[in-house]
Amino acid sequence: MNAILNTGRTISQGMAVEHKASPGYRAAVSVCYINPVDMMDLGIEQGARVTLTSRAGRIVLTTRATEMVNQGEVFVPLGPYANHLISAQTHATGMPDFKGEPVDIIPTDETVKDINDVMEEIGGVRYDH
Amino acid sequence: MIIKDAVCPFCGCLCDDLDVEIDGQRIIRVQNGCTLAESTFTGSTRLQAPIRRTASGWEMISYDDAITDAADILLSSDRPLLYGWSSTHGETQSFGVHIAELIGGVIDNTSTVCHGPSILAIQEVGHPGCTLGQVKNRADVIIYWGCNPTEAHPRHMSRYTTFATGFFVPEAQRGRTVIVVDTRRTESAEIADEFIRIKRGGDYQVLSALRAIVRGKGNVIPNEVAGVSREQLIRIAEICKNAKFGAIFFGLGLTMSAGKYKNVRNAIELTDELNRHTKFTISPLRGHANVYGSNEVFTWITGYPYAVDFARGIAFYNPGETTAVDILRRGECDAALIVASDPGAHLPHSAAAHLAKIPTILIDPHQTATTPLCRLQIPCTIAGIDAEGTAYRMDGVPIRYKKIVESSYPDDADLLRRIHDRILEVKGA
Repeated sequence: MNAILNTGRTISQGMAVEHKASPGYRAAVSVCYINPVDMMDLGIEQGARVTLTSRAGRIVLTTRATEMVNQGEVFVPLGPYANHLISAQTHATGMPDFKGEPVDIIPTDETVKDINDVMEEIGGVRYDH
Repeated sequence: MIIKDAVCPFCGCLCDDLDVEIDGQRIIRVQNGCTLAESTFTGSTRLQAPIRRTASGWEMISYDDAITDAADILLSSDRPLLYGWSSTHGETQSFGVHIAELIGGVIDNTSTVCHGPSILAIQEVGHPGCTLGQVKNRADVIIYWGCNPTEAHPRHMSRYTTFATGFFVPEAQRGRTVIVVDTRRTESAEIADEFIRIKRGGDYQVLSALRAIVRGKGNVIPNEVAGVSREQLIRIAEICKNAKFGAIFFGLGLTMSAGKYKNVRNAIELTDELNRHTKFTISPLRGHANVYGSNEVFTWITGYPYAVDFARGIAFYNPGETTAVDILRRGECDAALIVASDPGAHLPHSAAAHLAKIPTILIDPHQTATTPLCRLQIPCTIAGIDAEGTAYRMDGVPIRYKKIVESSYPDDADLLRRIHDRILEVKGA
């Protein structure tokens, strides 16, 4: 399914933002909010995992149904998972398209990666002490 | 012991009425604050000591070695990027600008991926803004456009707008009309008297339609504009024109969506139009506690609010070219100093990935998503918790952070002063 990715703050993301090594932060930002009708189209239930693919990257997220989001759009909280998908093109403004990245969504059985795994994918080295 | 009137260092509201209860040097409770304040004060995963990445993994090093390493990395760089600055105090930001000038680097702050486009619009058409105190005491019409204060600025509505009792608005919510404009039906939209749900990317069109109606040209408006009915647009325009004092607050729904700074310019010009009928103001809802301060400090030292490039020996400013995301995407910088922000979490990874390829120094109290990308991390105090200093609220009012507890961590301003002095010493100035 094709959709437009919107990113932004949530209260749970804000509460955990200074605790990035915590499971709470990972849970708060690895969520894909999606309209229930779109979930029906994908043939999935709340909590199922989906792979989002954009021109910049690919990431697995856990779904959460909400009518707050329009059909054809998905919302992912600001963080390392959302930014795995956002292109760095700024159209000469300095600002990427954080609220308008086209994505392709498919159901998956893959697990949601740990933040350290996501950062290692872009060349980082985990600090586990 | 209870520390009265503590300042919260989380969001741009900089709430300065918190009671923080401490037991020795441990914070145990926060009163008056929102849930974000509570989690900011009452616990964090702080890095214990400076760490350096080697071929075989991470090692702990002394502060002296870390400062020498940081200075050497910056000294040997041809095109250093200094980025972040919004979660610390003005004194640290000031040292950052001086280091950038000394080494001919580019310095950018997090407004580049926040309200940078708002600044570009303000530079084009000005800023008819006011302090939050004026809004609290006078505004009978409030518009939240492309923002969700309930989740991002949880006390904005209770301290300054919807639920606040003001001098000329004694009945608080009953005396104010609240309008929310968004593509999503957010928690904030549920509180509003009027919710305008627009189609994604339709902000510019809806703002233009409202400008036309306010100008008396409503007859040219089609039945629907970006998902909003003509009837609703006319109703909203009438509410605004009949306000005694209106206040628009806008968020990243305008700055990050298609149109970016042109959306904000259009919103400012709508405000201009409304001032032909009544008193109206507009202001951005600034995110990080002291991101406004980084714009202030950069401006008073360099003349520019963000994206300042000293490579020519003078301050040069050209957002889109000298902005952090563009420099990282092009793979242009050969070293980076990141202070008080987390580009690993908050910049597109196709840009942030470059940080892992170059020697990146991170000065931050916490283990963050940038930690795996850096070569060297130096932990420091947290402004507003174990360090005092100056921050600027979202309306430009400077507020002094209190030091709530003592800690053994060095202040990031002291770390940067030592790096600055070491660079100066090696350069022989």
